[in-house]
Amino acid sequence: MRRIRPIISIGLPLLLWEFTSRMGWINNFLFPPPLAIAQAIWLQVGPYGNPPYAVLFHVLRSMVRILAGIGLALAIGCIVGLLIGLTRWGNAIFKPIISIIVPVPTLAWTPVLLLIFGIDDRTTITVVFIAASLTIIYNVVAGAEMLGARVFWVIQSMGASPWQIFYKLIIPGIFPYLITGLKLGIGFAWRALIAAEMLAASSYGLGFMIFDATQYLSMDIIFGGMLLIALSGYLLEHVILGRVEAVTIKRWGVQVER
Amino acid sequence: MNVDDAVKAGMASATPGHVPKIIVRNLKKIFVNPETGAEVVAIENLNLTIHDREFVAIVGPSGCGKSTFLYLLAGFEPITSGSIAMDGVDITGPGPDRGIVFQEFVLYPWRTVLRNITLGLEIRKMPRSEAGDRARKWIRLTGLSGFENAYPATLSGGMKQRVAIARALAYDPEVLLLDEPFGALDVQTKNYMIGDLQNLWQEANKTILLVTHSVSEAIRMADRIVVFRARPSCVIQDEKIDVLHPRDPLDPRLIEYQRKITRVLSAEVDKAMRREHEAKG
Repeated sequence: MRRIRPIISIGLPLLLWEFTSRMGWINNFLFPPPLAIAQAIWLQVGPYGNPPYAVLFHVLRSMVRILAGIGLALAIGCIVGLLIGLTRWGNAIFKPIISIIVPVPTLAWTPVLLLIFGIDDRTTITVVFIAASLTIIYNVVAGAEMLGARVFWVIQSMGASPWQIFYKLIIPGIFPYLITGLKLGIGFAWRALIAAEMLAASSYGLGFMIFDATQYLSMDIIFGGMLLIALSGYLLEHVILGRVEAVTIKRWGVQVER
Repeated sequence: MNVDDAVKAGMASATPGHVPKIIVRNLKKIFVNPETGAEVVAIENLNLTIHDREFVAIVGPSGCGKSTFLYLLAGFEPITSGSIAMDGVDITGPGPDRGIVFQEFVLYPWRTVLRNITLGLEIRKMPRSEAGDRARKWIRLTGLSGFENAYPATLSGGMKQRVAIARALAYDPEVLLLDEPFGALDVQTKNYMIGDLQNLWQEANKTILLVTHSVSEAIRMADRIVVFRARPSCVIQDEKIDVLHPRDPLDPRLIEYQRKITRVLSAEVDKAMRREHEAKG
């Protein structure tokens, strides 16, 4: 029964839209009926699109950019986050820098990056990196601070080497916080990416697809593109990461005890 | 589930030796507030000798520094002056020769009961199967059979503490340090655990140091009770409890010891409370 509710709450407005648009009661140039939107997108997915398989390329390109950026953000974000959370010098050096960068909206970096890299994948990937790494760092620091002295004392009394402490305590210890940071980071990064793709006017990418469609006044592509963006974002943030989060939290119990 | 049955099979008679194991001389510990520079003298002029395989309980008023003393022994905190030596060697940091059990259990929530207990053995690079067998032995002795694959979040307080104790004993440290181990448990669980674990200490056959604010707890378990005075603490009473295990809590001799020690302790608690009261103005 619960599964039906979202179908109803989304489906009903769509039905209304379809009906009112076909009847001409609303401007059906600005708001083409959903079925027409689906048709237009479907055309672009296949070999008769312009260019052939256009939508596939757009989606793929966005995906490549976000995965590349996330990969970098994960690696560097973890390292910096751990340094800030666990070492005094890391805290002294990195925290001020991060604190200054955080208030700047990720998107505001796009002009700078455009000038540095030009219309290039590097611009958009760096945008993803900035958005995701800041979130990951924030959460990893929180996780590291949550550890507390005693969990370290326990393993030190067993005669553990620093390396053993790292992979038997620190890594699993911050893992749920890392996953949360990753989940949020992917969400922010995805949204920043789409906007950057529109600003950077690169070739391919869902953001570009929408931006480009504006030039041709293709409202159906625009709406269709937005839907694809929403679905992809949902897939990344909730379906994939949501599962990982659920499994982690389930194992640890709702409250992580120290 | 009964620990008794598990241990009766091969119970080693553990009579505390008279060989000094840990010697504390003129110990002093000062805490300095990093911001205000204010100094708090937690421990001063503390002298104590703990013998091999003795079970020593340390009681004292709250905040007197008994936990601090334990952490100095464990090597978690540096000493300010004086010396703590084990087997003639000064203690400079934590190590596998001293195991610790905290009041708040401090289990690793991402590991099962079994894996929490094998942690110390993994650190020692013991092969998995051997570590598992060793852990299972301690699981049996602490009454945790059946819970090997449970995660800490699903356990009650009493069970968690058993895991913490098994974890500390599994890698065979020479000394076991317990910091108010039953402090987070309700009275019923605590009483049950004390009774249930009595034979465990015999089987473990180690030097044990227990910090507690409960004299009755100390009376039931320890060979010797040391009373700390209020901050800055040092030893003001040292009593040997000459009663064989297993001990009956209603034994008149135990009651007499309890009375004696409580009298001294209460005087110290009064002093500590009065001082706090005065400090608050």
